[in-house]
Amino acid sequence: MAAPATGGRTAVALVVPLVAGAAVSVVLGVYGGLHTPTGVAVNVAGFSGPQSVKAWLATVVVVLALVQFGSALAMYGKLGGGAPAWVAPVHRWSGRLAFLVSIPVAMHCLYALGFQAFDLRVLAHSLLGCFFYGVFVAKMLLLRKDGAPGWSLPLLGGLVFTALVGLWLSASLWFFTRFGLIF
Amino acid sequence: MKHPGPLFTLLAGVVFAVGIGIVDLASGTGAAPVAGTASAAGAAGAPTTTAPPAPPPPATSEPPKPEAPARADYAGRVTGGGASVAVSARDGYAIAYVCDGKKLEAWLEGVAAGGKLDLKGAPNAVLTGSFDAASATGTVTVAGKTYQFTVPTAKKPAGLYRATPKVKGKAAKVGWIVQPDGSQVGILTTDEGSTAAPQLGLGAQATATVDGTPVTAEAISGLTGNGGF
Repeated sequence: MAAPATGGRTAVALVVPLVAGAAVSVVLGVYGGLHTPTGVAVNVAGFSGPQSVKAWLATVVVVLALVQFGSALAMYGKLGGGAPAWVAPVHRWSGRLAFLVSIPVAMHCLYALGFQAFDLRVLAHSLLGCFFYGVFVAKMLLLRKDGAPGWSLPLLGGLVFTALVGLWLSASLWFFTRFGLIF
Repeated sequence: MKHPGPLFTLLAGVVFAVGIGIVDLASGTGAAPVAGTASAAGAAGAPTTTAPPAPPPPATSEPPKPEAPARADYAGRVTGGGASVAVSARDGYAIAYVCDGKKLEAWLEGVAAGGKLDLKGAPNAVLTGSFDAASATGTVTVAGKTYQFTVPTAKKPAGLYRATPKVKGKAAKVGWIVQPDGSQVGILTTDEGSTAAPQLGLGAQATATVDGTPVTAEAISGLTGNGGF
């Protein structure tokens, strides 16, 4: 699968998604750093506060990301045999749903809290958040490139997944362990 | 266009983010006095998308309040005097400590931005309120008791201090609030429970003697950025 394509075409196929993704990460980080956090943003009714909303939405995203991981393994034949026809649509739509569900969380982070670095957890979360959307954009754009090397899509997909799990650990899990499983 | 799906996915996310951003701005959820506010939505996924200009903030009959400082320290007694509270805020984040000098105490942390405080701490401690250039005011609930407070800004040496000494070889924790009038209150917490903290000496360094051993306390100040910031 990792047969190297001719260097030039490979580079061209990779460069646009990676540059676009890097730009998104940097813009998010710069905005989060320059924008004065408002401390509040629109809230979702039915929860005790914005933190619990975010923790649960992020948990939904992680569950969908696990579906992503499983369906990706199936599509690459890693679960033995050929993947059933429904796997690809499941992968596509669970990914779309995960992305959309993540948006309110990220908007609250960015608008109400901004890029912060007052401890290691928060710094890691801020960096991962910027990285996540950058690498997600790169992965989405890479899907459209036919000349990209076979390893590039699993690599970016894996980075998206890893960043998301890191984000969840550094915020949702932290929240749940401190305040309990509150809604 | 080949494989348009991923582009639609990104576009849908951008539209959604822009929508949330517009609602944020329109609902006046503390729209910051910063020119960059309108780029909130655009930054969420599409550097090329320009968010619509912010609608005018909803008219309010309240007189304009003094602007909330990004970095400030507050300390004082709660209404009724049953406990003391200190709040240290720095760049959107705040640490607060509530104690009665005898048994009750709680450390809280959370968001302090746009003049609003929203802090939580274990076990089940919640502090909400607002702050401006002169004082912090709000409500704090600790161990089932709720206090109202309006406390002034604290200038050194007034403010919040903590130390983590060893008592009988085990880790302990002390919190002090030094009031703007110079009086102080604090609690020493060990495995065996909470007691009044020893007197905190405020020289060049804040020091106290705990279990026969001198310890240096750390100021927790949003103004100077010491202690947890």
